[in-house]
Amino acid sequence: MSRVIEAHGFTNRVLGWDAWLDVVELADASPEQITVLEESHPKAKESDYYLFLVHQPEILRQRSTAFNAIMYAPGGLPRAERELASTVVSRVNGCVYCASVHAQRFEQLAKRDDVIEQVFNDPATAGTSPREKAIVLASIDLTLTPGQVEPAQLRALRDVGLSDDEILDLIHSIAIFAWANRLMLNLGEPVG
Amino acid sequence: MTDTYDLSTDIVDRIAGLTPGSLTYATRHKRDKVASATQRSYEALFDPALPDLSLTDRLLVALYACTLSKAPALATHYAERLASIDADRAVIDQIAQGLIDVQEPRLRAMLTFTRTLIEAPIDGDKTALELLPAAGIPTPAVVALAQLIAFLSYQIRLTAGLRALQVLNATEAA
Repeated sequence: MSRVIEAHGFTNRVLGWDAWLDVVELADASPEQITVLEESHPKAKESDYYLFLVHQPEILRQRSTAFNAIMYAPGGLPRAERELASTVVSRVNGCVYCASVHAQRFEQLAKRDDVIEQVFNDPATAGTSPREKAIVLASIDLTLTPGQVEPAQLRALRDVGLSDDEILDLIHSIAIFAWANRLMLNLGEPVG
Repeated sequence: MTDTYDLSTDIVDRIAGLTPGSLTYATRHKRDKVASATQRSYEALFDPALPDLSLTDRLLVALYACTLSKAPALATHYAERLASIDADRAVIDQIAQGLIDVQEPRLRAMLTFTRTLIEAPIDGDKTALELLPAAGIPTPAVVALAQLIAFLSYQIRLTAGLRALQVLNATEAA
């Protein structure tokens, strides 16, 4: 049983999410919309988020393909570290729903929650090792100031042992949550 | 669905300055499923056939988002696309300077939503979203617009990160 962490309005509890505008009713969905829902997420047919986005099935299909390839592909950056980056980006952008989901995924993969508590409390100083601190800082910088990213910031990741393959996965994990957070924050709200 | 796509037209490679044979290009294309879904997202979001949201309006949103985000190479790209479809030069220039208040109400509503999502996504609320249907934009077009702005936020960070990695590798190889 995992420990509940609550700080600054963030939580690792399970939350729901409600759309602010009309979602696609399953009974009215086209065969293409049903297919895209099934490709996107195991529970997409019960989720307001996917039922809203499936108003544009081809756009959702490509988004889900990118998202799932970034977060779940084998090799490269360990999946727990991708989830850590996602949690940091969500914390910095203020996305309580995404932060909750990806904090839980980190805890499931890493079997610990110490860094999650740090990220919720103060992302700028979070990280239980030099490697984690470098991942957290890169996540903050690329999220807040994408126009000022310098090669030296990536060298800091190499200095703590990340390979180029891992740096690529980290850039992807940060960037895809610039995308995800904006949808979750601006099309509906967390409930529960 | 196939996982092959035309590498020569990949927009992220072009903007980030990744060329075939370079180390960073090879690294990126080990994750080709991500690269192809990124390119296909771009193509779907700028599909001229998408209803209720003109290609010109979508490109103006992109130009504005990239301008606000200080992504000059991407901003230039979208300005060039606008010029290639003969969009109004005065409107392109105004939006490249951040002048959105002078635009007609429907476009102004889209650009206001763009600014919120790009600069302060936490400030977006139900009232901000409801301004879009109120401006005559139907729900599927609202979804396309939100996906477009959110995708641009991704594309801006992806190209910035890849460009920095490419420069780092080029510097170290020199």
